[in-house]
Amino acid sequence: MSAVSEVAISVSGLRKSYGENEAVRGLDFEVAAGEVFGFLGPNGAGKTTTIEILEGYRERSAGEVAVLGVDPAAPTRAWRDRVGLVLQECELDPLWTVREAIALFARFYAAPRPVEETIELVGLGDKRDARIGTLSGGQKRRADVAIGIVGDPDLIFLDEPTTGFDPTARRDAWNMIEGLKALGKTVFLTTHYMDEAQHLADHVAILRDGRIVAQGRTEELGESLGRRTVIGFTLNGGLSVEEIRGRASAPVQVSGNRVEIETEQPQRDLYALLGLAEERGLALDELEVRRPNLEDIFLELTREEPR
Amino acid sequence: MRDRGIVLAQARMAILVALRTPRAIIFTVAFPLILLVLFNSIFIKGGDNGTTLPNDVRISAQAYFTAGIVAYAVALSTFTTLAVSLTTQRENGQLKRYRGTPMPPWTFIVAQITRATVQALFMTAVLLAVGALAYGVPIPTSTFPAFVLYVILGTATCCSLGIALTAVTTTPDSASTIAPFTVVILAFFSGIWIPVDQLPQWLEAVGKIFPLYHLALGLQTTLSPNATGSGLDAGNIAVLAIWALAGARIAGKRFRWEPQAARA
Repeated sequence: MSAVSEVAISVSGLRKSYGENEAVRGLDFEVAAGEVFGFLGPNGAGKTTTIEILEGYRERSAGEVAVLGVDPAAPTRAWRDRVGLVLQECELDPLWTVREAIALFARFYAAPRPVEETIELVGLGDKRDARIGTLSGGQKRRADVAIGIVGDPDLIFLDEPTTGFDPTARRDAWNMIEGLKALGKTVFLTTHYMDEAQHLADHVAILRDGRIVAQGRTEELGESLGRRTVIGFTLNGGLSVEEIRGRASAPVQVSGNRVEIETEQPQRDLYALLGLAEERGLALDELEVRRPNLEDIFLELTREEPR
Repeated sequence: MRDRGIVLAQARMAILVALRTPRAIIFTVAFPLILLVLFNSIFIKGGDNGTTLPNDVRISAQAYFTAGIVAYAVALSTFTTLAVSLTTQRENGQLKRYRGTPMPPWTFIVAQITRATVQALFMTAVLLAVGALAYGVPIPTSTFPAFVLYVILGTATCCSLGIALTAVTTTPDSASTIAPFTVVILAFFSGIWIPVDQLPQWLEAVGKIFPLYHLALGLQTTLSPNATGSGLDAGNIAVLAIWALAGARIAGKRFRWEPQAARA
């Protein structure tokens, strides 16, 4: 395997304008070699523009970009040999068979993976002789992934790879992406599914209106943004809100019968509340303890403000 | 070596795709054959009524139509096929996807030209065989090399123009309308459907501007046993070459790999 630099992608001060419209307004981030990096944001935030600049499809207006040590504005054949792409839409000829498509793309690369192995890896083993045009949406996406990885690249761009997948297919895709990571590949992932990013990404960056509004280690992102764990349950008449306020360390929010406590000391508060319920011989209905998840953070950070 | 393999693999895939597209086969393979049969059945009744080419070479009606329809088939196989298939692949996003791989762009273009050339040569062979076997068209040995040369030059010119046409065809529909329509209309101006000596002067004058006229005339001349010398004509070759170069220049400057219709 070729020597992989510590940093797979580094971006600083990246900007892109289309006429008056500035789609990307100064991005700074780094992707370490061997990690899965989640690049998140609502539609129109600048995700596609950014990924296309990194892939060598689009020129930038300003800033410095290095992908595997090369400026993607001047892509070379050797660099393309090391970069795999899965674009947003299926771009394979519907008249090709799965095997023909993958074999064709394998030809383009200096040291491709074996074609049959790649077909198995994406789970299209029983569809290898089917024409692309006859595949379901999820199967087409797998074929896209297959041509993206058949060149055995060091870095793989996956642009919404599981859109249109059913839950089982999504799990399979996740396993496959984890498999790529286990092989030491770097994965740059965009997705609409926060559970996907939460599950797969080591680091995430959240984009909004052409700027990064949050970035960091996936599991630390909530805490670093001051989000707390939430304890929630439903009042069933045995306890009063005042009693709960008396025991909890943090403000108690009540909406209808539902009680939520956003706390910095989840263990202490939970102990206190469970003790209270135990003393009275009551149950806390629909009890849940929720860590700040990526979806909450994403929704909060990308919510449209009223104008 | 690696690049030659890429070209061959792509040419093979292009041929496979063509074979899997019944519409393309009917239109570019069956249609010229049907026309050859129809023209020879409708216009030739009771003996050879022959015609005289603009260069004063006498030619039998059978040889005249056979050579003309070879020119038509070459144009369909190259100009039309390339304009339609390249526009379709571009608008599907296939070309953009190729550009994201280490595949050298030229290998793709060469493969597409190879596929078109294979089809043009195949159609030429089939039409000549049918003409010779069914309608007794003689194949003159002295001018046959020139006939082949005209087929090759015509193929090159029409390939170049077919690729150039993709600069203005923004959807597969527009390509599959403009390209065949252009060829059918130019065929009238080029004496492929109706002998040139029966055309009004202005029609022939317009036809002479375009390459199809010169391709048809070159093929007709070299398929006539009455042609003198090699059968090559500097005028025909010059017009074909000029169009080939003009097409190549436009193609080189204006060929696009990204979808055009969907662009905001």
